[in-house]
Amino acid sequence: MNVNSTHQISRRLGLILIFGLAALIMTYLSYSLPRLLPGDFVTAMYAGSDVTLTVDQEAELRAYYTEEAGFCNYLLKLVKLDWGYSYAFLTPVSALFLETFPWTLLLLGTAHIISISIGFIAGVEASWRQGTRLEKGIVGGMTLLEGIPEISTGVILLLIFALKLQWFPAAGAETAYAEVSFWVRVLDIGHHLALPLITLVLAYFPGNFLLARNSMMMIIKAPFITTARAKGLPDRRIRYAHAARNALLPLATRFGLRLAFMITGVLVVERIHSYPGLGTLLFNAIQARDLPVIQAVVLISSLMVLAIILALELVYKIIDPRIEYER
Amino acid sequence: MNVDLNRNIFQDTWFLTGFLLAAVFTITILVGPMLAPFDPWDMSFTPISPPCAKHLLGINDGGQDIFSELLFAIRNTVFFGLTSGLVALGVGVIIGLVAGWFGGLIDMILMRLADVLLAIPAIMILILTAALFRPSPFMLSLILAGLMWPTISKTIRAQTLAKRECLHVKAAARIGGGNWYIIRRHLMPEMFPLYLIGFASKTRMAMFMEASLAFLGLFDPTRKSLGLMIAYAVKYYYMDIWWNWLFPPILCLSLLIMTLTFLAISLEKILDPRLKSVELLSG
Repeated sequence: MNVNSTHQISRRLGLILIFGLAALIMTYLSYSLPRLLPGDFVTAMYAGSDVTLTVDQEAELRAYYTEEAGFCNYLLKLVKLDWGYSYAFLTPVSALFLETFPWTLLLLGTAHIISISIGFIAGVEASWRQGTRLEKGIVGGMTLLEGIPEISTGVILLLIFALKLQWFPAAGAETAYAEVSFWVRVLDIGHHLALPLITLVLAYFPGNFLLARNSMMMIIKAPFITTARAKGLPDRRIRYAHAARNALLPLATRFGLRLAFMITGVLVVERIHSYPGLGTLLFNAIQARDLPVIQAVVLISSLMVLAIILALELVYKIIDPRIEYER
Repeated sequence: MNVDLNRNIFQDTWFLTGFLLAAVFTITILVGPMLAPFDPWDMSFTPISPPCAKHLLGINDGGQDIFSELLFAIRNTVFFGLTSGLVALGVGVIIGLVAGWFGGLIDMILMRLADVLLAIPAIMILILTAALFRPSPFMLSLILAGLMWPTISKTIRAQTLAKRECLHVKAAARIGGGNWYIIRRHLMPEMFPLYLIGFASKTRMAMFMEASLAFLGLFDPTRKSLGLMIAYAVKYYYMDIWWNWLFPPILCLSLLIMTLTFLAISLEKILDPRLKSVELLSG
């Protein structure tokens, strides 16, 4: 028992170490890559952009960017939210980030909650009706949907629902300058959220559905399900209280890995629907070659992904005590 | 693992569909430049004109023939995906075999490295390098491969650990077979089906990444790409161009991604009875 718990603690420390290392690597890349550019950072950054600098401005900028000599200094600035200055928007990068981040969080968070919960329930129900014509059709449809990237669904939804039918707005996160009551505003935000949200749900749902269904198919064959049936328990109780809880774990463990990949889709979807989140900020920064913004958005969002995956890894043990952290 | 490939595989509808689509795309890529009626960089036509007999899909805003553009764009997207997928597969298989066979400290270091890379969002590294250095698409595909190998090597490593205990492998070691001899002659060939799955899922991921990066404007704007075509066409989505300009690249991209999804899912279903296809696809 004692040996086991020390093993657990060391395993957790190992996890934290791995993620700390990953975070450090990301930060170091973001610190050192601009320094590898030919010339200095100021020349490289402003040469490709549309601004002209006076001599004074250039000297000032150079002083600003060469002042932080060491990596430690860079880390310190990072913690103090001093992430540089955007020249395209003429605001501190941290302000831009904090302004756009809530929208991305709202979009991504809602999309995941919906696609995971519905995907899970649908997967469980499908596995229970395994072999029926309906189930085969749905699984086929989901496989098909899994092959359609976010770019395609996003554009098609935009064409149909924003342009042809005009049911949903084509851009933005809420109606600008509208002074309305709280609930009307919530409705307005939801109305703007709908299209990007549906795009993301359509992209994430098939994966969750297929994963839940496939895990359930293996669980259903396990002896304890036969036992539960033999005891005469009601069907729904076997399905959810006995079987489905075991299918929850693969969904959770895979979430972290998929998140690192799914970030790509959010960037694209936000751009298609002109949703004012991090993706659109990043897109505009890329168009204007606004390097401080690109650098900060890339670094901070990667660190956030790392933090979420680490938190999940530490929580698995609570979700499922059987897990042994084997890799 | 020991499944007779030829007997089962073509009875699966998904595999058959994927295989046929892949064949069509292969032909398109091989003869594409010959089929293209115009030079896709030629900007001498009337901008934004509807399709006619000469220009099958019309002309874009830059005065370029869309059909010719499309043929070149498919090539670029596919080449990016294939390079990335192949390199990721090669690196992943070698690292997986080495980690699984030698074990101990080598295993620990390689697998921890894989953990670190798995947690880092690949797109962010790509965006950072693309924005700072503007590397060639080939360089970017190599960087992406360097970030994608861990899932492959983890699968291969797990399989190597199982194979290590097999009698024929032990016998090979007993007759004095060296490490590399056993890896090359016994371990590598036996995991062949896993390579196909890993390659299909990584190529799929790389194509998706290429389209997204191009859509976000991180490639050279003169390079033809499905993502870039969509990005340009979306700007005019309110005009009546969607069916001849916007829809073709979307359809091609979706079909490409579908091809690889179908191949990966059906291969997993046939070769791996534990039905874990979605894991490799998304991981």
